[in-house]
Amino acid sequence: MSPALRQMLDPTLFWEYRAVLLQGLMQNLSIFAESAILATVPAAIVAVVQRGRIAPLRWIATGYTELCRNTPEYVLLVWVYFVLPLVISKVIGSRFRLDPHAAAVIGLGVAYSGFMAETLRAGLRSIHPGQAEAAAAIGMSPFKTLRRIILPQALRRILPDLVNQLVSLFKSTTIVSLITVQDIMYQVSMISVAEMRPIPLYTGAAVLYCVVIILATQLFQGLTERWRKRGWS
Amino acid sequence: MAFADNFNRFVLANLGPLFAGLWVTVYVCFWAFLLALVLGAVVCFIRLRIPLLKYVAIAYVEFFRATPILVQLLWVNYVWPEVFGFPNTVVGAGILALALQSSGYLAETFRAGFEGLPKGQREAADAIGISRWRTIWRVEVPQVALVVAPMVINQLAVVVKSSTLVSVIAIADLMYAGLKIVNQWYEPIEVLTTIALAYFVLIFAISGVANYAYVHFQTKFGLVAQR
Repeated sequence: MSPALRQMLDPTLFWEYRAVLLQGLMQNLSIFAESAILATVPAAIVAVVQRGRIAPLRWIATGYTELCRNTPEYVLLVWVYFVLPLVISKVIGSRFRLDPHAAAVIGLGVAYSGFMAETLRAGLRSIHPGQAEAAAAIGMSPFKTLRRIILPQALRRILPDLVNQLVSLFKSTTIVSLITVQDIMYQVSMISVAEMRPIPLYTGAAVLYCVVIILATQLFQGLTERWRKRGWS
Repeated sequence: MAFADNFNRFVLANLGPLFAGLWVTVYVCFWAFLLALVLGAVVCFIRLRIPLLKYVAIAYVEFFRATPILVQLLWVNYVWPEVFGFPNTVVGAGILALALQSSGYLAETFRAGFEGLPKGQREAADAIGISRWRTIWRVEVPQVALVVAPMVINQLAVVVKSSTLVSVIAIADLMYAGLKIVNQWYEPIEVLTTIALAYFVLIFAISGVANYAYVHFQTKFGLVAQR
């Protein structure tokens, strides 16, 4: 085995810095959770508006989803971090600052709200209109129809898609290191500069991400399998 | 108008570097996508037809799909040259990282296409005595290519999106050119907004083509894409 290869497979350096790296991972997880929650709000609004009757609102909603879906996350993140505070400062007339963590949550939240809106809309559309009509016929209010009839079916259908999007959101949280959020990749770069040994650290990060994502996906699918199949088999 | 002033000073005055950056973006994406198509096809073939190597292919696909592109990029850029002796340039590393990531997704897309093909197609080809390779090349591939085309084009959009990150390893792409101007003048508004719009237009056009292909092939050939 060549020395470089041995160094690549040697996990001691990665283990030595476990405390710092774990802190970084926590930072990733918190940004992931916050932006996932943030993303559902515009996504739900857009999905409902796009099914509504008011044409100009529909156009705005479509424009919003297309803009979010087709702009690279990194560009959006940098834009939110550098440009948004300046624009807000000019509008309100006083100095406005956005810390990296907040910028990361907003940037990723907005980026993924577009994907989520699209998924949610497809889910709502896939439920046969007869369901809502039947619910109305037996006297359910529109809100109750949504909560008891439409959403339970739609959510079960879009769950696999939603999981895929959450996975890619989690993968995208790595780029927050580029706007100086101290996440795991930020720590990895710092340590490899300090130690002058990039090989085991970058390999460790790649393997860690691979393991975390595969485990989390399997776990989530296992946990939701029963809920998803309930009443269907 | 402050905005128009700044736009002239920071964007129009720097159109040269920005277009040079755009060219690098296109160059990187083109080669990365081409390499991804080849790698994806090879991995898909191994996954479907070769008994023991199959598990290597599964591991390959799972690994590259489950690691973020930034991690992949830094890994290929810093680790590969020392361990495997290539790639030698940052542009090579960028292209390779983007290609590896996409090849994982493309292999799965191709596989879904092949598995969605009715078994009768191969049996019919067998029955009239077409050889195994010829069956793949003349019967299966043309049908699968049409079915997966929209998703493959979408993957190109993903490659362009991910390619913004190659600026991190100092490839002078569009994002890099923009950030350089921002760091020079500390006036991010016009430059970054222009770049964001440029990327939006580029990626929106590619997704538009993918959507068109989806609708067109579906109505023309009655194909239903596998999802």
